[in-house]
This record gives sequence, structure tokens and C-alpha cells, in this order.
Amino acid sequence: MVAEIIAERCTGCALCVYVCPTVALTLRDRRADEAGTHRRIVELAEPDCYNAQNCLEICPDEAIVMHPLTEPFTVGTDVASADADEIRALCMAAGVGSKQLICMCAETTGAELAAAILNGAHSPEALSLATGARTGCTELCHQPILQLLAAAGHGDAPRNPARGFQWYGIAATALGLLADGEVADDVREAFSHYPLDSDLRVLSGDFSEFAPKGGQP
Amino acid sequence: MTGAPVGLIEPLAPPPFQRTWTGRDPASVVAMRAVELDDIVALPVRAIDPSLPLPIWSSDPTLGPTDDTAVRERARAALTRSDWSRISPGSTVDLIANPHGFFLCGDAYVAMLEETRDHLVATRGCTVRLRIAESMGHIENPDWMRIYDLPGRFGDAKECPQIGRGVEIDTRVGPFWLTRDLFTADHFVHTHVAEMREGYLHRMIDRLHKPFGMGYTRLETRSAYHFAWGPRTGQMVARAVFESDFVQERYAGTIVLDTTPEGVIGVDADLDLDALNGRITANVLRHYGTLMRLMAEIDDVIALFDGHGCHMYSYGGGIAFDCLMYAQVDFLDLDNLALLKGFASRLPDTPGLTLEFNPAIRAQVMNYMAGGVPYTMMTRRVPTFLVEGPAADWLIGDPCSPWLGDRAAIEASLPDAVAAARRTTGVDHVIVFDSTPGALHVSRALGEHLLARAPDVAAHVRDVALPKWLAQRGLG
Repeated sequence: MVAEIIAERCTGCALCVYVCPTVALTLRDRRADEAGTHRRIVELAEPDCYNAQNCLEICPDEAIVMHPLTEPFTVGTDVASADADEIRALCMAAGVGSKQLICMCAETTGAELAAAILNGAHSPEALSLATGARTGCTELCHQPILQLLAAAGHGDAPRNPARGFQWYGIAATALGLLADGEVADDVREAFSHYPLDSDLRVLSGDFSEFAPKGGQP
Repeated sequence: MTGAPVGLIEPLAPPPFQRTWTGRDPASVVAMRAVELDDIVALPVRAIDPSLPLPIWSSDPTLGPTDDTAVRERARAALTRSDWSRISPGSTVDLIANPHGFFLCGDAYVAMLEETRDHLVATRGCTVRLRIAESMGHIENPDWMRIYDLPGRFGDAKECPQIGRGVEIDTRVGPFWLTRDLFTADHFVHTHVAEMREGYLHRMIDRLHKPFGMGYTRLETRSAYHFAWGPRTGQMVARAVFESDFVQERYAGTIVLDTTPEGVIGVDADLDLDALNGRITANVLRHYGTLMRLMAEIDDVIALFDGHGCHMYSYGGGIAFDCLMYAQVDFLDLDNLALLKGFASRLPDTPGLTLEFNPAIRAQVMNYMAGGVPYTMMTRRVPTFLVEGPAADWLIGDPCSPWLGDRAAIEASLPDAVAAARRTTGVDHVIVFDSTPGALHVSRALGEHLLARAPDVAAHVRDVALPKWLAQRGLG
């Protein structure tokens, strides 16, 4: 599917521009021959539209519709296009499994995202264009993508556009509660009805407490 | 359908399709509903669990009253009992609703919202606005604003998507981002419909707090909830956000519809969310537990989607498909790790600790299903069949299922699709998710099997599982 802007309904409010994960929408002056009354209008770069439909959802004026693509296309980054050791190192630094599915919609793995970063995709938008991640539900894969970028030294990527809110930052993590391997007493006390220590061990890869007596679970 | 347990009966009428906010009209393109298939019968939930309280409201007239009189009475009583003193005269209050409330409880949910608005305006002298916290699955949500004329009934009514502007807040465990438009008034009132959706995530810990970690939050927080917290600690996100200064400075109270798989059984309200959560959690475990565990008695089945709701959030018999999707593990038992494999960066080498898709689900047929939630991993694992026509085209064009067109077989009709699924898998059993409350629509042989297994499952839940679940949550 690909978006289409209905010129006479578009008010140039730019909300769609601020939420497009592939920055396929920009604002420009309305031409004299275009329908509509507002000075500004949104323009779509069709090749960069990956059917996320965030624009459709946020538009307050029903000025965007979706059409089937006449020529469907596939996007993705070949994991073999980057060094396997570097991919593994980046995933490990980000706390992301290289074979782990990160974007559940596009089925993008940690390794594919890492390869795209190593190939030069240094922002969430560039990663989406290179892999298709963040263009389905646009929600689930958010955090690990920001973690991968930060681990690669690109956590300071500027927002595009500057007023956009496709993403903000990395939210708190369970493992982030650990300082020198321990959780602060006040946090443990505040969440005393949660099996925090046990889950932290699991998140660290230690499943020993779940092994049954005498051998294999 | 009241009183004594009953056996298999003729199918109930599934709720009619609604026009979606994108203008799609499934009713005009779906040629046949699943209940019209030969061999589909209804297994009443009351036949499985005769102890369920009778509903005061249901969307199905055979299950309970469909008028909202009793809901309004209960809501007024609950509102009167509850403390709303945090709301000062002249202040603004955002009444935060959610799409699931409209989806599951329709008129009853709207009645509760209206009674809340009226009570607060009358007793606190405030201005109340309706704010709907949108969530995943929005792609083909029914157009609740128009269906219930929410602007006409509430005046200032607004849908607030999770992709909208955010606000960063500090919590005891670190930063999270909330949906800004939900929190712009002086105060807000939290509303909810208690049921078992997403139990594999919230594990019925701080159940009523969950929207503070998901529905009321931006993409960042939702993603962190899934990827950055443990299998039994994701709800720490919700509690941390709820207890943050930002939220507590605005929080004014909670009102909730208490439900069973048949419909609404009560309305409860409280300023003390922990106290309210304890009451509701105990009820939900009692009223959904047997049906939840009965799903584990299904050895092989074809899942048939025929209603609003997207995949794991499709409902049948009052429970979501996710209850079947992860039924092989009792995730209500907190001794079970039930680590979601898809969200774990490191995995144990041994089987059993991770929560995979239920291997009993051998194929899926999509007659009509909303989009908006990822489910393509399931299409990798099991044969998937669509019914030729616009509804199939909509799913193939869904942003969350970019590979569906490559993986699904498209059949000419619903009977053809079910026949193809049976032929491909050798499985005869069918279970339908068509939003019908109070009864599972199943193929007759599956219905007979579940009916036969129900007494043992109910006894196990009553004597073993439920006491353990309650004790693990301090509710014993």
C-alpha cells in the first residue's frame, strides 16, 4: 500500500510529517494550480513510503488515503553485507540477540539491524529505510532499535524533522536497575511483590534456578 | 441461559460487523459468517463453569439484560462510595477510555463513562472531557466515535494515538514516555474493563495498573515493556509510571466494569488502585480461570477468525485468542517462568521455559480479521487460509503482515478455506473467534471433548490452581 495526499483536505498541519518512520513526507508551499486553501501542503516521496500508515492515523482532516501498490517491492539488508564478528559485537553491546526477531512485523532480526547500522544507517529513519523495521505496528521494535543505535555510537541522532516525534529516547530497563550487580533497597522494597531478582537473573541469561533437580528441565 | 448447566446448543448470533474508522464495511464484503458453517455449535461458558455470577449486562440477550439500567445503577452506587476529593471545583478532568472497553462492553462501557462524567460534574463542579487512549490494532478499529456518537454525548471527545506527541516522565526505575494528550487536564480518571486479555504479559499482577505501562504510553514505553523487562516483571513499568509524581499529581480515581466471559457483573470504583486491583483480580481469576485452563485441553485445532479484533486480540466465548495461543503453559502460575521467546535476547537451551505458540494450533483461517498487530510469525509456523475478496486484500495490505500475501492460501469461500485447512492438517477441530460472548463456537466434536473435560478442569482450578494463583498475589 502507498499513501496519497488529498490536496483539498490537507491543511499543512505537518502532523503526518512528524510521525512518518521513513520521513517520506515533507511540507512545501502549495502551488497555485493545486486544490485547497492553506498555504502549505504535504508532499509524499512515494519510494520512501513503506505503508506504516501512521500518517493516516494521525491526520485530523482525513487528507490521506492508502492505495494498493502497482509494483510491490521488498526491502532488507543482507546480513552477509557486514562483518559477522562486528554484528555479534554490536548486538551483544546493545543487549540484543543477533538471531532475535526485533521487528515482529517485517521480521527483522538483530543481526540485520546491526548490519544496516554497520553499513551506514545511523538513525532510526535510515534503519527503517534499509530494513523495513518500524514500519508495521511501529511500536514493538522501538526500544531495541534505539539500543542498537546507541551501542554503535549513534544515540545522538538528530530528529528528522527537528520537531518530529517518531521517537524520543531509550526507556528504563530492568537490567538498568543493577548497580554492581545489585538492586537498590528502595526499589526492591517498592516492588516487593514482583520476582525481581529471579527475572533479572533470567534476563542476564542465568536459568539455573529453573533447572529441575537431577538434570534437564 | 441462566441457572442449570447446559450442553452444546445451536450457535448464538455473533455481534454484527461495524464500519471501521477508515471507512471499511466488513458486513458488505463478508459473504458468510463462521456460525453458518455446518458442524459449528455453541458451547456455553456456563456449561463449563456453572458457578459464574449472572450478568447485569451482556451484548447477547440470551445471556443477560442488554439494556444498561443495572450498569448505571451500579455505577452511581460505586461512584458515590468512592473518594473524588482530589478534584477541585472549576478544574478540568480527562476521563480516559480505551477501545477495548467499547469493543468488549459497548453500551455498558459508554453508560459507565456517562455516569462518571455526570457524577463528577454534579459533585465536584469540574469540566469533564473524554480522551480515548488508542493502541495497537487501530488499523481496522470500528469507528467508536461515530458508533456511539461520543462527540455528541460527551462534547469534548478526542482519540489520542500512541504515535502522538509524548511527555517524558521520571519514575523510580527510570524514564518513560506517556501520550501527552491524555494528561493535559488538571486531573484524570482511569477507566477499565477487567478481563483476561494479555495475561501472558501482565500475569495478573497489578492488572488494573497495566494501561500505565501500555495503553496510556508512547511507543518507547510499550516497546520497553515487551523487550526490556522480565516475564513476570513487565508490570513494574506500569506500577512505576502510576506511582510517578507526574501521574499522582493528576490521578483522581478509577472506575471499572467487572466482567465474566458472559458480560458485565458489576461496577467498582476506588481512589485506592491497589485495593480495587485486589478485588478485581480475585474476581477475574475466579471467573475466567476454568475457561482459561480448558484451552489447554485442546490437542489440535484450526483457529477461525471471524470478527473485529486482530489475531491475538480476537475474542470468542469472552476470552481473547491469546488465551489459546499460549494455553500450553499456565502463565497465571507465577512459578512458571513462561519467558516469551520472541522477546528474549538470551534463551535457555532447554525446552519448557519459553512461551512458544501453542502447538495445538495447527492452522488458521481468516474470514474477517482486523489488522494492526503483528502475527506473521504464526503464518510461518502454521498453514494460513484467507477467503477471496476485499477482506483478504485488507489483511494482505496491513502494515503488520507484509508477508501474508506470500504465505497464505486464498480460497474461494469460507467452507473451502476450512476444508483446505482440514485437508492440509488432517485436523477436524475448529474454534471460532467471532466476538460472541458467553459461548465458544466450536466444531461439534471439539465441543463434546471440551464438555467432557470441563468437570475435571473446573475441579483442578477450584481445588489446586485458583488457591495457588490467589496466594501468589496475596489474595488467598
